[in-house]
Amino acid sequence: MEDVAAPVTPARTAETAPGRGVGAAVGQYAGFLPALLLYGVFFLVPLGLIVAYSFWQTIDYEVVHDWTFDNYRYFFSVPTYAHTLWATLWVSFVATAITIAMAFPFAYWLVRYVPRRWQALLLVLVILPFWTSYLLRVYSWINILGPEGAINRFLRRIGLIDQPVSFFLYDRPAVILVLVYLYFPFAALTLYASLERFDWNQFKAAMDLGAPPRTAVTRILIPQMKPGIVTAVIFVFIPVLGEYLAPQLVGGARGVMIGNLIVNFFSGAQYTRGAAAALLIAGLIVVLLVIFRRSLQVEDAYGTRG
Amino acid sequence: MAREAEAVARHGGLARGLYGVWAVLIYVFLFAPIVLLVAFSFNANQYGTFPFTGWTTHWYGQVFSDYQIKDALSTTLKVAIEVTIISTVVGTAAAFPLVRSRLPFRTGVRIGMTLPIMIPGLLIGVSLLILFTSVFHFQLSPQTAVIGQAVYTTPFVLLLVAARLQGFDPALERAASDLGANTYKRLRYVVLPLIGPAVFAGALFAFTLSLDEFIITLFLIGGHNTLPIYIYTQVKFGITPEVNALASLLLAASLVLIALAFVLPIAARKARRSLRPRRA
Repeated sequence: MEDVAAPVTPARTAETAPGRGVGAAVGQYAGFLPALLLYGVFFLVPLGLIVAYSFWQTIDYEVVHDWTFDNYRYFFSVPTYAHTLWATLWVSFVATAITIAMAFPFAYWLVRYVPRRWQALLLVLVILPFWTSYLLRVYSWINILGPEGAINRFLRRIGLIDQPVSFFLYDRPAVILVLVYLYFPFAALTLYASLERFDWNQFKAAMDLGAPPRTAVTRILIPQMKPGIVTAVIFVFIPVLGEYLAPQLVGGARGVMIGNLIVNFFSGAQYTRGAAAALLIAGLIVVLLVIFRRSLQVEDAYGTRG
Repeated sequence: MAREAEAVARHGGLARGLYGVWAVLIYVFLFAPIVLLVAFSFNANQYGTFPFTGWTTHWYGQVFSDYQIKDALSTTLKVAIEVTIISTVVGTAAAFPLVRSRLPFRTGVRIGMTLPIMIPGLLIGVSLLILFTSVFHFQLSPQTAVIGQAVYTTPFVLLLVAARLQGFDPALERAASDLGANTYKRLRYVVLPLIGPAVFAGALFAFTLSLDEFIITLFLIGGHNTLPIYIYTQVKFGITPEVNALASLLLAASLVLIALAFVLPIAARKARRSLRPRRA
């Protein structure tokens, strides 16, 4: 290693060190090889297959490689399917809005009112449920919302109802509630990271200059929070779009989302129609990511930032 | 600090109280379903739901004597170990060029590497299902599930290790090579001790995620069962106390592993700090 002679700019060392030429330049990317293999073959190729399949056809359980829009035409020609797509967008939108609205005051509390040394612990407590089984987190709500669940029993106890009502389970509100529950940690984490970086002196300065708190929030805090809020929205909205289990377990017939349709297509061996439905979601995700790519703070969302 | 306190005071003790109450409600919301699930697993009521009719550990005994559960457990562990090895190696290897090299399209790469976590698992599941069954003509097995899960868990390792690498001074490595250390020695005595805790935490995350993974596995495991898949097939027939007990055990395992993953890097840092004066 003749690095002694190399200038001390860390990133350049590998290239400028004498005695290593093109090999070193390639070598610095060598670590990507296993990842390229894994993600090339088992992520990008399969996604490409989804695109191709969505334009192919299934005839007598055989996939025919004729390029056509039939799968999409079919999807939008069945009112239930089209309706499910809009319902999915609506549910995702509402669930995201509620999640952010709940997480913002929480993150604010954590940053402003909790002593620094407690913040990390309280934050870990919020992420903890995310690291437990996703299936069980959905399942556990049946105990609360179900016909013999906590809410129904409580309402019967206080005499408000005398028959168990199914409104709490097997309908859209139940789906939204569970989705908020599932994705709250992402929103809390990103909003916390963003609030924590905020320079509160600017906030104080605004108030010292006579701005009422509300104005200081809307003119100083919120604009600087924008990347954090965008990240939170994206990291909640995108996974919710393709949600399958929550509507499956607590949604009933009225809570169906597009994820359930996709699974039904695939388990019915209608790969091409299923691929079209899947691509409707994937396309929407890509559009969202391209639009918001600059504001995304991906390291914040899973708490892996340093 | 005093001025900040003053600003908070101006904000009012009432606001503080309201935010505090909100935070408590949030924690109740996050933990009530989980606590209730565990409570039901000790409930003598044979329908696994309200009312509480007494305390029992009977259901746990049933879990341990059920051969289907044993079978699912061994599949789960095998899959989790393979997933952990793959994602730890692939994720750690990729973290180096990600942090050290001058990548073009940095934003794209950053978003690209979180894509497998961010997009619905359903999409990974169905797209790999097409690949395995229609292109490769593989028989679905725990192995195909391992690949699907590794696609999902690797970015977590990558993010953790990259974050740690970012915080460590490349000058340390140059110093080692100036002092005559070869590549192996630099890795063994400089790099690994520094990023080790992050790699280990990443491995624990990957293991836990694999243990709990549901949707990708559902599509790719074929006729086999992991614990979450087993629980799912049981839930379709209604809640049983035995499933509640199994679920509680799975929860406990995840919580212990994750607590370890969070605590170990901190403990390692503290240990190193306490060693420093003695070395000097």
